[in-house]
Amino acid sequence: MALKGLDIFKLTPKTNCKDCGNPTCMAFAMKVAQGAVSIEKCPHMSPDALRQLSEATEPPMKTIAVGEHKLGGETVMFRHEKTFVNKNLFALYLCADMSDADIDAKLAEAMKVDYERISERMYVECIFVNVSDTQTAERGIAVVKKAAETGRDIIVRCKKPELAKEIVSAVPVKVLVGADASNWEAMNAVAKEKGLVLGVSGKDLSELYDTIEKLEAAGNKNLIINIGGSSIKDAFAAAVQIRRAALKDNVRAFGYPSIVNVERMAPGDHVLQAALASLFELRYGSIIVMGRMTYADALPLYGLRQNIFTDPQKPMKVEPGIYALNGADENSVCAITVDFALTYFVVSGEIERSGVPVNLLIADAGGYSVLTSWAAGKFSAGTIAKFIEEHQIESKIKNRTLILPGKVAVLKGEVENKLPDWKVVVGPNEAIQLVRFLKDYK
Amino acid sequence: MPFTAKPRKFSAGIIEIPLGVGQNAVTIGGGNVLPLYYFDNPAKNPPAVGVEITDTGVEAAGLPELAAYYEGANTPAERAKKAAAMEGADFVCLRFEGADPGGLNRSVADCVAIAKEVVEAINKPLVIAGSKNLEKDVELFSACAEVCSDKNVLFLSAREENYKTIGASCALAYGQKVGAESSVDINLAKQLNVLMTQLGVQPQSIVMNLGSAAAGYGFEYVASTMERVKLAALEQNDTMLQMPVITPVASETWSVKESIMPESDMPEWGSLEERGIEMETVTASACLASGCDAVILRHPTSVKAIAALIAALL
Amino acid sequence: MARFTIIGERIHCISPSIREAMDTKNPEPILKRAKEQIDAGAAYLDVNIGPAESNGEELMKWVVQLIQENFDNHPLCLDTANRKAIEAGISVYNRSKGKPIINSADAGDRIVNIDLAAANDAICLALCSKSGISKDNDERMMYCQEMLERGMSLGMDPADLWFDPLFLVIKGMQDKLMEVLEFIRMCTDMGLNTTGGLSNISNGMPKHIRPIMDSAMLAMAMMSGLTSAIVNPCDQRLMETIKSCDIIRGDTLYADSYLEV
Repeated sequence: MALKGLDIFKLTPKTNCKDCGNPTCMAFAMKVAQGAVSIEKCPHMSPDALRQLSEATEPPMKTIAVGEHKLGGETVMFRHEKTFVNKNLFALYLCADMSDADIDAKLAEAMKVDYERISERMYVECIFVNVSDTQTAERGIAVVKKAAETGRDIIVRCKKPELAKEIVSAVPVKVLVGADASNWEAMNAVAKEKGLVLGVSGKDLSELYDTIEKLEAAGNKNLIINIGGSSIKDAFAAAVQIRRAALKDNVRAFGYPSIVNVERMAPGDHVLQAALASLFELRYGSIIVMGRMTYADALPLYGLRQNIFTDPQKPMKVEPGIYALNGADENSVCAITVDFALTYFVVSGEIERSGVPVNLLIADAGGYSVLTSWAAGKFSAGTIAKFIEEHQIESKIKNRTLILPGKVAVLKGEVENKLPDWKVVVGPNEAIQLVRFLKDYK
Repeated sequence: MPFTAKPRKFSAGIIEIPLGVGQNAVTIGGGNVLPLYYFDNPAKNPPAVGVEITDTGVEAAGLPELAAYYEGANTPAERAKKAAAMEGADFVCLRFEGADPGGLNRSVADCVAIAKEVVEAINKPLVIAGSKNLEKDVELFSACAEVCSDKNVLFLSAREENYKTIGASCALAYGQKVGAESSVDINLAKQLNVLMTQLGVQPQSIVMNLGSAAAGYGFEYVASTMERVKLAALEQNDTMLQMPVITPVASETWSVKESIMPESDMPEWGSLEERGIEMETVTASACLASGCDAVILRHPTSVKAIAALIAALL
Repeated sequence: MARFTIIGERIHCISPSIREAMDTKNPEPILKRAKEQIDAGAAYLDVNIGPAESNGEELMKWVVQLIQENFDNHPLCLDTANRKAIEAGISVYNRSKGKPIINSADAGDRIVNIDLAAANDAICLALCSKSGISKDNDERMMYCQEMLERGMSLGMDPADLWFDPLFLVIKGMQDKLMEVLEFIRMCTDMGLNTTGGLSNISNGMPKHIRPIMDSAMLAMAMMSGLTSAIVNPCDQRLMETIKSCDIIRGDTLYADSYLEV
């Protein structure tokens, strides 16, 4: 646990020499506890005191790498306070006890989900393979190998150190889950030897805390907290309490990412699993293990994740260019709007609902909404004309009708001047009116 | 050294608001912990789940399960009965889709007759949602509030433009509950509550509708607005944001591409119904996690899953 | 961040009507002033029963119960030099709406009030002086530390010690005011809460000047991080200033009608 102001004060020389720039040692100690100044500001600290304090100045939550992905490193409980840093990952649940046919089918189904949404690849990043204590090493290795053939990052859950060692020696694995109060030493040895992230669990938070402290004392800080169990209530409580203790109460032992297995909480119930995955995306699950991953699961869950992990200071942008909707071709009418992702989604959604073929032109407007970018000079007659030229719209599209967002109706005249070949039409103010507008226009 | 989690209770709390009357009443709000954090303090009232029906019928194209559920229910009252009987349903929401002057333009008198039949037919609280046409809703709500005067109905919603008339008729004249609707704008949400209370509407009669979005469609704004509202209510004891929050999830999620694109157009996406259910369920779960005290859903499978989720967290 | 905490100062035995009400156990004047202050936005009500050497315990119990029973257990700040009276007040205090505040400890004889706060899970106002006015911020900080150490060694959360720099009167000590603000900033940087009897700065000034001067001082003190003050919540200008500063600090959400709530 991090040191409180008073504990730090006890380690200071207590001379009130002011060399650190503070009136007293207590004032200095309080600031160090706040993280407002570094302990190095005091030139008189003993090496022993410094060693004791170094832990208190570490970030509250460690960043753990799983393959190419980073987890943890969060500093706030809610995104509006600053931002969330590392998005959660999804894992597909497999068990070595399943039949080969089942495993093949689940893998094949999940591998189909691989698409792009606003410049982000959406796919199952990890495969979680459960190997029960009674399973043989051969079977475990065979299933993990099969999973590894997908190229995704592999998480193996196995509580028997010898069995785990055989498996991770045979197949490249990124995370080994299964350390607890009873086996942590042996599991730690396996994970350390192979450089794996070690997943650790406990029957309750106290036991978990103790085990993590022991692992840290043994030099392992490459951990992930396995929020185990089949109780939804307990798992949710643990996910929140662990994150809160790490960020709000400076409980260093809990400053690690988490893994939650929703297949275990709602076996076979995919709709409830989707609800749980949504809950844990918002509330502190770092790897979410699901019983399956289809488009029905992925579309809402990945969309939600993309939303929640957007930096509130940086609006989400879509790539500028031509988006041909409802089978639009070179003879279809053009409509232009800004590259703010939300605008794009709402406008494209409404156009799709209308069924009218439209070439939606997305201009580079800095990722702001129509009015904001217009006010900032990023969405003007000049930038629209420049966009049409740079993206060679006139050579790609024969139609010469351009629909402007109603909110920038004032631009009509100027755009007509800059683009004399085009017929400029003012569209509705709100996207929701687009369906009727387009149907009437047609 | 044993670890003890520090419970985080607030001395401020969310207002409790009963909907419906007698044995059929359901109370939303209450509690003094962050959304769903029942490990900090047991739930006062769990979040409620409502089932939405419309006056116009069941939009079930491509949704065989939904169509089957309502099979044989040919009137709004019959559909309301089925909705009330849905596993996990706490209340029914009747949406007057057909009242929109830009659509069917059903007369206020016809709507009132439907509202009366529906409220009589069900043994659960009723929420009445309007046509989203500002002028029509004023008239519609006032007339419906009168015929349902002893039923403690919630009306969705009053907006900045029409809160005076809706507040005066529904809440002040007929003692009903009123939704205060803003579009994902926390300052306006607070302002509307201030204005409504200045009009004389008790905070105990106001339910906030903060606006929503489907998962993936700017939901970050929804989540942050709800979270900030709850933090202001609890941490800053902001009495103008302590009203419970209701979110009509279904009307947002069943209109996005993922929930309407037929399987024939997107074969790799699979079953349309399953996509719609999961979009609705994932969005509802995210709303509850962010701070919503009641959600309104459409599909029986989503209702069941969300009710199960809530029950599991208690 | 929690919003600025206003402690209403108007239930004070120095007021003749309140003193008489306390002498005769007449609830009306006390309830009237309690209601005025609660309606005006006071999060806490200070209850000053004076030294009350003979009947302090019984009197404090009576006032605490009187106000809390009539105003939904509104939080109170127990203000008397009689420790037994504070203890008695806490024994009947309902903390469902907030912990009691003990007013006050200092670094001198009254430091034992910190022990009382620690033993009763109460908030304690901690005056950064020993006997008379501290001569400079070094002295204030020394007292601040002594009290902080004492509280923390007794297991108190530092957030429950609200340090009072002592707001000095402008007419007479004008050159000390910036120092007071600097001290508030030092406490803020240490993550500590601060409070004080703000209107002391305008003592002796013409009546119409006082709200103006108090408001200006308050805005500057809030900029320095002041988290609470003992004030007259019925002073409209002051309350408007506090509400506006709360908005600028981000401690209250803005709405066009923010002054009206």
